[in-house]
Amino acid sequence: MKSVKKSDVKIAVLRIEGTNCEQESLDAFKRLGANPEFVHLKQLLHLDCTKNEKRDIFNYQCIMIPGGFSAGDYIRAGAIFAARIKSKLGKDLEEFVKQEYPVLGVCNGFQVLTELGLLPGIKEIMTSVPDACLYINDSNRYECRPTFLKHENNIKCIFTRKIPKDDILLIPSAHAEGKLLFTLDKQEEYLKKLEENDQIVFRYINKNGEYTGYPWNPNGSISNLAGICNYIGNVFGMMPHPERSFYRHQHPNWVQNGLDNNIGDGIAIFESALDYICKRF
Amino acid sequence: MNIDKLFNRKTDKFECYEIDVFSASDAELVEISNKMGLALALPEMKNIQSYFKNKNRLPTDIELQALGQAWSEHCCYKSSKIPLKKYVFGIAEDKIVAREDAGIIDFDKDHYYCAALESHNHPSAVEPYGGAATGVGGIVRDVLCMGAQPIAYIDPLFFGPLDLPQSELPKGVKHPRFLFKGVVDGIRDYGNRIGIPTLSGQVYFHKGYTSNCLVNVGCIGILKKEELIHSWAKAPGNVYVYVGGKTGRDGIHGVTFASAELKDDSEKSSRSAVQVGDPITKEPVIHATLECNRKGLLEGLKDFGGGGLSCVSGELAYAAGFGAEIVLDDVPLKEEGLLPWEIWISESQERMMFLVAPKNVNEVLHICKQWDVTAAVVGQVIAEKITRVIYKGVKILEMDMDFFTGGPVYDTCQRPFVISTQKENIDPKFDMQNLNDILKKLLGSFNIASKEWVIRQYDHEVRGNTVIKPLQGKINFECNGDATVLKPLEESFRGLAVTANINPRFMERDPYWGACSAIDETCRNLVSVGAIPDSLLDCLNFGNPEKPEKMGEFYEACRGLGDAARELNLPYMSGNVSLYNESVKTSVPPTPQIMGIGIVPDIRKCVTSDFKKQSNYIYLVGKETDKEMGGSEYYNVIKVDGGVVPKTDINILKNYMKAILMAIDKKQIVSCHDISEGGLGVCISEMCIGGDIGAQINLSNVSKNLRSDFKLFSESNTRWVVEVEKEKQKNFEKTLKENKTPFVKIGEIKSDKIVIEDNGKKIIDQKISNLRDIWKNTIWNIMG
Repeated sequence: MKSVKKSDVKIAVLRIEGTNCEQESLDAFKRLGANPEFVHLKQLLHLDCTKNEKRDIFNYQCIMIPGGFSAGDYIRAGAIFAARIKSKLGKDLEEFVKQEYPVLGVCNGFQVLTELGLLPGIKEIMTSVPDACLYINDSNRYECRPTFLKHENNIKCIFTRKIPKDDILLIPSAHAEGKLLFTLDKQEEYLKKLEENDQIVFRYINKNGEYTGYPWNPNGSISNLAGICNYIGNVFGMMPHPERSFYRHQHPNWVQNGLDNNIGDGIAIFESALDYICKRF
Repeated sequence: MNIDKLFNRKTDKFECYEIDVFSASDAELVEISNKMGLALALPEMKNIQSYFKNKNRLPTDIELQALGQAWSEHCCYKSSKIPLKKYVFGIAEDKIVAREDAGIIDFDKDHYYCAALESHNHPSAVEPYGGAATGVGGIVRDVLCMGAQPIAYIDPLFFGPLDLPQSELPKGVKHPRFLFKGVVDGIRDYGNRIGIPTLSGQVYFHKGYTSNCLVNVGCIGILKKEELIHSWAKAPGNVYVYVGGKTGRDGIHGVTFASAELKDDSEKSSRSAVQVGDPITKEPVIHATLECNRKGLLEGLKDFGGGGLSCVSGELAYAAGFGAEIVLDDVPLKEEGLLPWEIWISESQERMMFLVAPKNVNEVLHICKQWDVTAAVVGQVIAEKITRVIYKGVKILEMDMDFFTGGPVYDTCQRPFVISTQKENIDPKFDMQNLNDILKKLLGSFNIASKEWVIRQYDHEVRGNTVIKPLQGKINFECNGDATVLKPLEESFRGLAVTANINPRFMERDPYWGACSAIDETCRNLVSVGAIPDSLLDCLNFGNPEKPEKMGEFYEACRGLGDAARELNLPYMSGNVSLYNESVKTSVPPTPQIMGIGIVPDIRKCVTSDFKKQSNYIYLVGKETDKEMGGSEYYNVIKVDGGVVPKTDINILKNYMKAILMAIDKKQIVSCHDISEGGLGVCISEMCIGGDIGAQINLSNVSKNLRSDFKLFSESNTRWVVEVEKEKQKNFEKTLKENKTPFVKIGEIKSDKIVIEDNGKKIIDQKISNLRDIWKNTIWNIMG
């Protein structure tokens, strides 16, 4: 079985105007010894680029769409970024996912993946129109707060394979539009499918591990969903920010609980992806 | 008065007038200033008149507009220079590496930190959302133009009372609730979108801010030492490259608007003075600017601030002893039909000016293009010390740099001031009420109640560097912290702590001791998390300086800020003066907002304000608690007028700070909170709320002669409450004794109630969950 060296794993941290969590996202992969780089969407579209600046999606083994307010999130969060990707790169991206390369979307990135039709990805890789949406929080405002997540994926999601099932993670959320919704007539069916397909990854819980409402579930997301993957397990989106809890000292309660070895709860997501890539390609 | 006859069209190519200031009478000169919105007084107009008489030609409208901008109160501090020079400048100057749009100080061997603080008051009073948003944009540019990556944003806000009855709202004034919401929305939508965490601030409510809210904005940045860039030209031939947002009619006369009192009709008359912010233009401008600077492509850098293109191009050249030649035709415009003077002084947002060597221009334009950022060559630096502007081939402005940008010197024309006699200091006698009720009232008062409603709307985590958060404690039970701590560098555990303070009630009673108290509190806050105070920033918000008593308040505040900082050897690395914060009805209390920055040698040793563990000891550390009740929240809540404002002794503060810092460094303290508004009672309550844990307290050994209510609610300076583990007791007490720092062991952490006794009598007995509900819900309930 062939395997890639970690330092050879190339990751595209994709950005446009208004993307703003790219530095810490890049740092997360870099700290683990991989080879991430910032890629402006125009570099993939070959717009206003010199020869050296042009990139191709298949130069990379992983694409990450970080958090932020791409194109201002005017219209609907993630919609403009998704439209720009889909119009020129839709086919390539579909092929990329088909070849089982991992794609990660955090916060705004999750919104983009949903707008692209890559998530929830229940039956097909990419739907022509979005199959879900991340709607305005129940509180009707942007909120930045720590959230507890329960890992509920059995094996499918390649981004959480290093996290034992039922583990509780403390990862902060910061968004105005994070309430995952499906069309009303498909709601029950989709939830069932997600469950059956092992596509549910994270749910919001309270400090005692119970499913509860606000503020533990910061947005009112259906079935407390915080993160889901597609049916293959290689496209994963979550609203909370694992790159903001890479180290223990980024946690809001490290002063109370100590730093120990300074490993944060978010690190396993990046480790799992690299582990998968190294073994798979 | 009709002065149209004095305006003569200069050319038929476009609209530009020559103004006949030679034949104008004094009254007409003043009318010219008014009509054109210049905000220049008669002596200044006469100064201009004689300058052009020497030149033997009439000034153009664009020349007068440019002078109005360059000489305004906002740009060159004409009222404030003398007291600032006398008291505030020149403290620990050796620490300051540079002081331009932002100050620069060493962070470690290879890095500087950079910070700026300014006001955005008048625009926010007229249009809270846009005003506050552009305030964020402006201060971020100030840090950016030093070559620094912005890493934190700080926003102290001051409004009228949230429950002000509509009937008491003056005509033309917006309700404090509306302003509060609008300002917070504006900061949130702009700050969150550009990806810079909002880390600290202050929200204060007081009647004096009803018709003139204050919105102060601060920003911190970090940079490698070799990346520092200055706001001046390197050589003639440097090319002016205009970068960022396009120029429009928004923000015309912003500077002159800020230098006059607000009026009933400011809404209508001054709406165009408020700029329109666009964070999604700004965000890539930050990237493009930093990328160009890191690649060494820039010779000089400055942001467009007050006075727009006029000030930025002039100052870049003037600072280096050169001149500027600008071609207005090439300035990117939002719309057709702007008059040349409007292009020249517009304060449209999101604009930076790069100075670039000719050989690098193409690369700079390419980088901007990649980020979809507008960029255009608009002129060049010239050897002659003049500013020249050309439009459609016609020279429409040509003035000597020394006259135009240098500005008139006002040191000799001092504004009159009177230092008013102190307010009534005598304490009225009154009976002590039920202290449980008072404590609950205090926790539910707008100035003490939790500001979670605001804090959670701001992204304080983006960039992943926030290691001590603004809210501290058990998840979803947090209390407010004293300071927030950032770990700005990937490879180092060195941290930056930040806090912002002022107590306007102290200030209105006693500007001198109020100012000293602000410095004391700033230091206390920094020390509470384990940070060594390193520098200060001041944003001096005051009333109309033409009124001698307002000028007197300004003098006294400056004296206090100077005395305290000098003794501590803390420099004011940057600051801003905002005068005329009054309307016909009210004037703001003197509000010298202080932002403090501290260095944390190792963030892994930081402590927070929430109580941690059952049966740990609780200490009151610091100065004797005195009956210094003037301006206290206690007196405000029970509506008592009188009392003295807390005094401070900086030498004592220095010792006590050292003791606390040493104890934190030796890990003898597990939580620490400074005592400020609401005194010891509120301080302990907050620590219990954050830790979701109770406390058993006995105050019998605290200032023995003091009545229980004064013990609980006095706001005497230089005091902290700390939590110490039992096994650390001996070592902790030893550290304090070695540093001559008084302490009283007042109790221990216990149960889920806060119980306070004094001289054998139970004075407080409250469930923590009850206190939390009051403290946490007050602002949520009113703001929704």
